[in-house]
Amino acid sequence: MYRSISGAVSGAMPKALRQILRTPMTMIGIVLVLAHVIVALCAPWVIPYGPSQLAGMPFEPPGDRFLLGTDVLGRDYLSRLLMGGRITMTVALVGVLIAIVAGAFLGLCAAWFGGLADEIIMRLVDTKVAIPSILLVGVLIPGFGQSVGVLIFVIALVYVAGVIRTVRAQALTILPQSFVAAAVLRGESSLSIMLREFLPNVADLLCVEFAIRMSSAILLVSSLSFLGLGISPPTPDWGLMVSEGVGFIHTDPWLVIYPSIALCTLVVGLNLATEGVANALGLDAARGMVKG
Amino acid sequence: MLLETTDLRIGYGDGEGAMKLAVDGVSLSLDTGQTLGIAGESGCGKSTLARALMAYTRPGSRITGGQVRIDGQDILALPEAGRRAIRGRRIAMVPQNPLSSLTFHMTIGAQIDEILRRHEGLSKAAARARSIELLAATAMPDPAAVHRRYPHELSGGQRQRVVIAAALACRPDILVLDEPTTALDKTTELKVLKLVSDLRDRFGTALIYISHDLNVIARVCERICVMRDGKVVETGATRATFAAPRDAYTRMLLRAVPRTTDPSPVRPGPTPGDTQPVLRVENLNYRYAAGGLALPFLPRRKGVLAVRDLSFDIHAGRTLGLVGESGSGKSTVAAVISGLLPPGGGIVRFCGTPLRAAASRRSADLRRRIQMVFQDPLSSLNPRLSVGRILMRPLRIFFGMNPIEARAEAGRLLERFEMPVAMLDRFPRQLSGGQQQRVALARAFAARPDLIICDEVTSALDVSVQDHVLDLLLSMQAETGTACLFISHDLGVIKRVADHVIVLQNGEVRDAGPTDAVFAAPRHPYTRLLLEAARSVIDTPLSPTPAPEPAPHTDAAPGTNRGDRHA
Repeated sequence: MYRSISGAVSGAMPKALRQILRTPMTMIGIVLVLAHVIVALCAPWVIPYGPSQLAGMPFEPPGDRFLLGTDVLGRDYLSRLLMGGRITMTVALVGVLIAIVAGAFLGLCAAWFGGLADEIIMRLVDTKVAIPSILLVGVLIPGFGQSVGVLIFVIALVYVAGVIRTVRAQALTILPQSFVAAAVLRGESSLSIMLREFLPNVADLLCVEFAIRMSSAILLVSSLSFLGLGISPPTPDWGLMVSEGVGFIHTDPWLVIYPSIALCTLVVGLNLATEGVANALGLDAARGMVKG
Repeated sequence: MLLETTDLRIGYGDGEGAMKLAVDGVSLSLDTGQTLGIAGESGCGKSTLARALMAYTRPGSRITGGQVRIDGQDILALPEAGRRAIRGRRIAMVPQNPLSSLTFHMTIGAQIDEILRRHEGLSKAAARARSIELLAATAMPDPAAVHRRYPHELSGGQRQRVVIAAALACRPDILVLDEPTTALDKTTELKVLKLVSDLRDRFGTALIYISHDLNVIARVCERICVMRDGKVVETGATRATFAAPRDAYTRMLLRAVPRTTDPSPVRPGPTPGDTQPVLRVENLNYRYAAGGLALPFLPRRKGVLAVRDLSFDIHAGRTLGLVGESGSGKSTVAAVISGLLPPGGGIVRFCGTPLRAAASRRSADLRRRIQMVFQDPLSSLNPRLSVGRILMRPLRIFFGMNPIEARAEAGRLLERFEMPVAMLDRFPRQLSGGQQQRVALARAFAARPDLIICDEVTSALDVSVQDHVLDLLLSMQAETGTACLFISHDLGVIKRVADHVIVLQNGEVRDAGPTDAVFAAPRHPYTRLLLEAARSVIDTPLSPTPAPEPAPHTDAAPGTNRGDRHA
């Protein structure tokens, strides 16, 4: 399966790649995302202090010992800032991957089997869409307890419905094609038809879905942390850092501004990169966004 | 001169600055009341040329040189407002797809009235009266009722009449028709062509008729101009050009047109009746159920009896042609035999055993022995799978080959269908239409079937490509002794491949028998109508000693004696 996807992409790649390289906004997005990923990966080896280490006095100003000063408890702010994206990005990544895999499977099932299976899957999707995400989260997280595992589950649940809808819609355009009829006449199993005939044709769509949901999920995790429903202290996390710093916004505004800049550059970078890549692949990135 | 183009060049950008020429230095002229046919295969630039005659180009392309003059005035030099004044009044166009050129949320009347009110400044009542008059002029039955209808309530032929009426609304001096009948059935095409000729005689409108179908051009046009790769390769009086084509490409095109007068294939082997037929269909009935199992590949016409009491035999190595227009039930027959649809009434025997179930319930061996090839070659190949993987799949499923054996065999199949082995790593979109269809045929023959069902396999192809694909099919069939059910609306193609033929109309058999006999002496009026519509008018004045031209490919199948065919 993997071989066919990469093969197909390599066939279409030169033109798409050229378009990506030619679009400055897309390149800015890609550079921003790469920078964040590199920082997140390297952070543990470059930070001067442990992120939870009480290294100095509270609210020390930026200086030689603490490049960005210290926070409310006297922890090195730079170290916390560099470490602050890791958990959010991991939670968003795993949650969205689960949503993509499950959504692709259920979406293809709904389109391929049709009838009752389609009805059941799509009515469940409708139900999910009818409940505001924040309400769902507000019930699930206190209910199941506040842990990374629950957070990942919640992220997957929030995003799976949109993926199902998009994949099903795309699969329905593949359904009437003769190559599907040819596979039926060969006696291929349903699973084999979904994997061989449908999946390669929704693969590029899934890539774009993944990127869109990623930026949205990072924002969601950060918002939850800010509200105290996400990542728990003392873990360094941007959302949490904003929430900790918000009480001192008049005296030490940088405690809020630095993590906000970090979060913004990541999300904006992801959006720019996604839109550029989707355009180059001939897909509509905005379509997925609306369904959130 | 009414309309004249000189050295017209139209280029389109590929996004990297360089322009490719779709129309390359075309000069042609048309006088009042004349008819000019522009012929050529897909991609030759004929539609781009047609739009440029109205000073219009599609986004991404532009006119890079030359002139289009109407009564001596260069319309390309006009500002947009001046061009708009010319469109509709001096020159009007009938595009290919009548449905996409009508707005589906407005009534027919409202759409024609709008043209008259805007261009001619007529009052509401006057516009209505005129548009009903126009509809009547296109021989539309009950024009007042059609005036109130919506496009989807009309048949394809009626829609095309409406579009012609709209184009004629402002009495243009020139009418450009871009493949106006390609999407229509042959009998409908004949009616529309007659209408076009009548209107020309009545209004004295000069016509430019664009078509890939030389036969159609021969029916309508006094002069013809043959295009290839954006250039005019030959131009002249239609009769004279067809009688003695000067250009090699024109000769090749003319030779590739299948004719109902061609000899049908003569196949050696036991006469039917001596042996058991590969396929015996007895009293097949099929009614699309209201509700029931949903099969997404096929149109569902609820409760309609699609096939009624159809019986036929196909013997090994023989081909049965199934002829009919859209809605005749011919695709339903293919779907029932292949197993895409569960069987209805009647008995279908395959090598003596009754076929009962849909494909998924048949044995793997049965599925292997009946193979199907579809109409649209691109749609029948998964765009994300390489040609190699497409061809290897049946080999692995049906013969359990390992990947190395399967790939080697797939390469042999490609070569048998005259494609390089290197094509195994290509993807369907990188292939031409003819190559795609040859891959689809190769995939079917990979299973070494006893019966192959070809559903309009050449309808989407250019004539020269069609010729090659049919050659390959015939030679493959002669080599393997595979029986073939060949479905087509094109009687010329049927004549070329089928030794027996059945004519279907509304699910009922109108005529049946050996192809030569049925075509020579059709019993049913409907068959006669089809034959008249398909009759090749380009042959009638052919010169007795045509210069033999070497074919682009030389593997003429046994039984198709190329030398005997009109060239």
